[in-house]
Amino acid sequence: MHRQQNISTEMKVGILVVVGIIILFYMSFRVGKFGVFREGGYDLVVFFDNASGLDPKTPVQIAGVEIGKVKSIQLEGYRAKVNLLIKDKIKIPLDSKIAVKAQGVLGDKYIEVKPGGDKKYFDHGGTIKDVITTPDFDQIFATVNRAAKNFGDTLDEFSGIIGPKEKENIKKSLDNIQTVSNDFKEVIRVNKENITLVVKNASVISGKLGSIVNDVEQGKGTLGLLVKDETLYNDAKETVAALKTISTDIEQGKGSLGKLAKDDALYNDARDTVKNIKDITAGIQKGEGSFGKFTKDEGMYNEAQKTMKKIQKGADGLTEMTPITILGTIIGTFF
Amino acid sequence: MFENLLQRIISPVENIFREFGSIGLMFYQSIYWMFRRPFKFDYILKQMEFVGLNSVLVVVITGVFTGMVLALQSYHGFRKFGSEGLVGMTVALSITRELGPVLTALMVTGRAGSAMAAELGTMRVTEQIDALMVMALNPIKYLVAPRIIASFIMLPLLTIIADFVGIVGGYIVGVKLLGINEGAYINKTIQYLDLDDIYNGLIKAAVFGVILSVVSCYKGFYTSGGAEGVGRATTEAVVVSSVSILISDYVLTSIMF
Amino acid sequence: MKENTAIGIKDLHKQFGDQKVLDGINLDIERGKITVIIGKSGGGKSVLLKHLIGLVKPDKGEIWVDGLDIVKLNEKELNETRKKFGMLFQEAALFDSMNVYDNVAFPLREHTKLSEKAIERAVEEKLKRVGLLAFGEKMSSELSGGMRKRVGLARALIMDPDIVLFDEPTSALDPVISVTIEDLIRETQTHFQKTYVVISHDILGMFRIADKVAMLSNGRIVAEGSPNEVRRSNNEMVQEFMRAVKMPALSGGNYA
Ligand SMILES: Nc1ncnc2c1ncn2[C@@H]1O[C@H](COP(=O)(O)OP(=O)(O)OP(=O)(O)O)[C@@H](O)[C@H]1O
Ligand SMILES: [Mg+2]
Repeated sequence: MHRQQNISTEMKVGILVVVGIIILFYMSFRVGKFGVFREGGYDLVVFFDNASGLDPKTPVQIAGVEIGKVKSIQLEGYRAKVNLLIKDKIKIPLDSKIAVKAQGVLGDKYIEVKPGGDKKYFDHGGTIKDVITTPDFDQIFATVNRAAKNFGDTLDEFSGIIGPKEKENIKKSLDNIQTVSNDFKEVIRVNKENITLVVKNASVISGKLGSIVNDVEQGKGTLGLLVKDETLYNDAKETVAALKTISTDIEQGKGSLGKLAKDDALYNDARDTVKNIKDITAGIQKGEGSFGKFTKDEGMYNEAQKTMKKIQKGADGLTEMTPITILGTIIGTFF
Repeated sequence: MFENLLQRIISPVENIFREFGSIGLMFYQSIYWMFRRPFKFDYILKQMEFVGLNSVLVVVITGVFTGMVLALQSYHGFRKFGSEGLVGMTVALSITRELGPVLTALMVTGRAGSAMAAELGTMRVTEQIDALMVMALNPIKYLVAPRIIASFIMLPLLTIIADFVGIVGGYIVGVKLLGINEGAYINKTIQYLDLDDIYNGLIKAAVFGVILSVVSCYKGFYTSGGAEGVGRATTEAVVVSSVSILISDYVLTSIMF
Repeated sequence: MKENTAIGIKDLHKQFGDQKVLDGINLDIERGKITVIIGKSGGGKSVLLKHLIGLVKPDKGEIWVDGLDIVKLNEKELNETRKKFGMLFQEAALFDSMNVYDNVAFPLREHTKLSEKAIERAVEEKLKRVGLLAFGEKMSSELSGGMRKRVGLARALIMDPDIVLFDEPTSALDPVISVTIEDLIRETQTHFQKTYVVISHDILGMFRIADKVAMLSNGRIVAEGSPNEVRRSNNEMVQEFMRAVKMPALSGGNYA
C-alpha cells in the first residue's frame, strides 16, 4: 500500500518478469530446436506391422544422422501407419529401404532409412514400401535362450566324438575351409565358365551343407557368448569377408561356370573339404556326451570354437547379403 | 445418544463442504472485483514483489538442489543399465512436469501463503478490514484480488526459474561431477523434453498460485479469535493449501499428460 | 421519522450465541447534533455503533439513514450510504502497512480525484489538529495507543463526512490531550453542523460537548435526553454512573 516505493517495486518486479520470460524463451528455443518441425519439411508414409516403441518425435536417420522425425502414428487396417516429417533438403531415392532399429539392447527405437541408388526421389506424401522387418526383442531373447540350450547339447555331442582321428579331421577341415575359400576366389576369377559342370556333381552334397548351415544357425547364441576372444573375432571376420566375396562372385559368375569343372585339383580339394565336414557332422550326429575329455583338450577346444565361429559368422554374412535360400541353391548347385 | 453420534459424523463433512463453498465464493468475488475499475495496479505490483521477488532465492535454492539430487539418484539407477545418458532427460522431465511447479508452489505457500493468512488475519482482528468496509471500499478487491492475481502471475515465473536452475543443477552434477557424456546428456534432454512439458508445468503453477492464494486469503480473511486465531489461520492456510496443491496436481496431471 | 433525524434505530436486536447484546434498541440520532452514548463496559456500545454503518447485521430491527433501511441494502447500495460516514474505531484500526500520512490520506486517494498537493494540504491540516504533524512518516505500528487514536480521528474526519461515529475518542489519552480532542470534535461539529455519535466513558468530558446523551444498559436505551435531563434521571443505572464520577477534586468535595 505504499506509493512512494512504487518506482523501485515496479523496477524489481519488471526485472523478475523479464528474466522469467527470457528463460522461458530460451528453454522453448532449445527444446524446439530439433527444428524439423520448425524448419518445415515434407511428409512420407510408412506402414509397419509393429510400431511399438515408436512415438511422435522419434528420430528418423540416415547413416546415424537425423533427417527427420515421426510426425504421427495411426492404425490403418491392422497396420501402423506412420507419418514421417523429413527435412526439405534431404532427398530420399524411391528404392530406399526403411527399418525400425534400436540403439543397443535397452536403447531407444529409431527409424533408419537405407537410401537406394535411384535417381528419382520421394515427393511429399510418398509411401516407402520397402520395409525391412527386424525381429523384436522378445524374439531375439527367445532365440538366444534356445541357442544357449543348443550350445550345451552341442558341447556334449562334441565331447563324444572327438578322438585323435576326429581331431585330425577337424584340423584338416579347418585348413581346407580356409584353402577352399581362398581357392574359390581364385577359381571363380579364373574359371567362371567351367563351373556349370561341377554344379551337377555337387548336388549330392548340398543336403549336407544345408544341415551344417542349420547347425551353425543354432550355434548362434553360443558364439555370442564366446565373442570375448579378440583373435577369434578377427578370424571370424576374415572368413565372413571371404565368404561374402565368394557369394557375390558366384552371383555374378552364375551364368558361365563351365571352366571350373576342368580344374581337377580344385575339384578334389573341394570334395575333400566336403567329405571332412561330412565326417564331422556324422560324428556329431552319432556322438554322445563325455564332456570332460573335450574340455581338457585345450587346443582342440579352441579349434572347435574357431571353426564354429567361422562357420557361424560366414552363415551370418551370407544371410545378410542375400536370402539364405538363394545362396543355398547356388552353393548346392555348385557342389 | 444416537442423534448425537450422527451429528458428530455429519457435521465435519458438512463443514468441509461449507468451507469449500466459501472458498469458491471468495474466488468468485475476487474474479468479479478484478475486472471492476479502478484497477489496483499498485496493490498488485506490491503483492507481485512480495510473492515473486521475495521468493526467488528460496525457489532457486530448492530448484538447484532438487535438480542435483535427481541427477544423483537417477544416475545410480541408470548406470546399472548403462544408460547414464538418460539422466538429463529424467531430471528435465521430472522438474518441468512435476517438481518445478509443485515444489515452487509449496515453497511459496510456506513463505507467502502463510504471510497472506497472517496479514489478513491480523487485519481482521484489528478491524482494519472493517475500516476498509467503512470507507466504502471492498476488502476483497483491495486485499484478496491483488494477492490472487500476483500469485497467478508469479508462480509460473518462479516455476520457469526453478525449472531452469533445476536442469542446470542436474547438468552440473550429471556432467561435471559424475562425468556423464555431455553430448548425450544434453541431446537426450532436448530430445525428450517437449514444449508441452514446460508449458503444462507452468499452467499447473498458475493453478497452484490461484489455489494457494485463495485458500490463504480465505483463512486469513475469516480469522476470528485474536492473535491466537491468527496463528491458527496461518497454520490452516499452509496445511490446506499444500494438501490442495498436491491433490489438484494429481487431477491436473491426469488431465494433461 | 422526524425531519431532523439522521439515524433512526427501531427495535434493534442482536445476539451472539446465547448472549443478548442488543435487546430492542430504539433511538433517534439528531441531525447536526452530538449524541453521546454511555454504558457499562461490554454493554454493547461498540456493537451498536457497528450496526449503524452496516458492519454487523442485526437479528431483527431497522436502521434508517436518509430514508433507507440500511439493514436491507445490498453491498453496493450500502457503500453509497457509507460514503456519508466516517468512523473512529475503538482500537483505531489503522492500516499497519502504511505510515501515518498515508493512513490519513487513504480515503481521499481512493474516493477523490484530488491532486497529491491538495491531499497533502488536507492531511497536514488534520494532522496538525490532532497534534501529530511531525509524525507523518512514522509507521502506524510505531505509535502509542493514544497517538493511534488521534490518527484514527484524523482519518475519520478527513472526508468531512456528514455523520461521524466515534468509539471512545478520548479513552487512551491524557487529560490535556483529551480536552484538545473534545474541543476538536466540538469545533468541527459546530462549524460544519455534522452529525456526531460519540461513545464514551468519560462522563465529565462528554457532558461538556454533548447535545444529547443516551444511556445503554442491558441491551436497551434506559435514558436519553439533554445532558442535564439524563443527569437528573432517576434511573438506577444512570445514578450509579453519576455517583462513580463524583470525585472530590472534580466535584467540589461533597462525596460521602
Ligand atoms: N463478534 C462478536 N462475537 C461474539 N460476541 C461479541 C462480538 N462482538 C461483541 N461481542 C460481545 O458483545 C458484548 C458487547 O461488546 P461491545 O464491544 O459492544 O462492548 P462495549 O460496550 O463496546 O464495551 P467497551 O466499553 O469495553 O468497549 C461483549 O460482551 C462481547 O463479548
Ligand atoms: Mg467498545
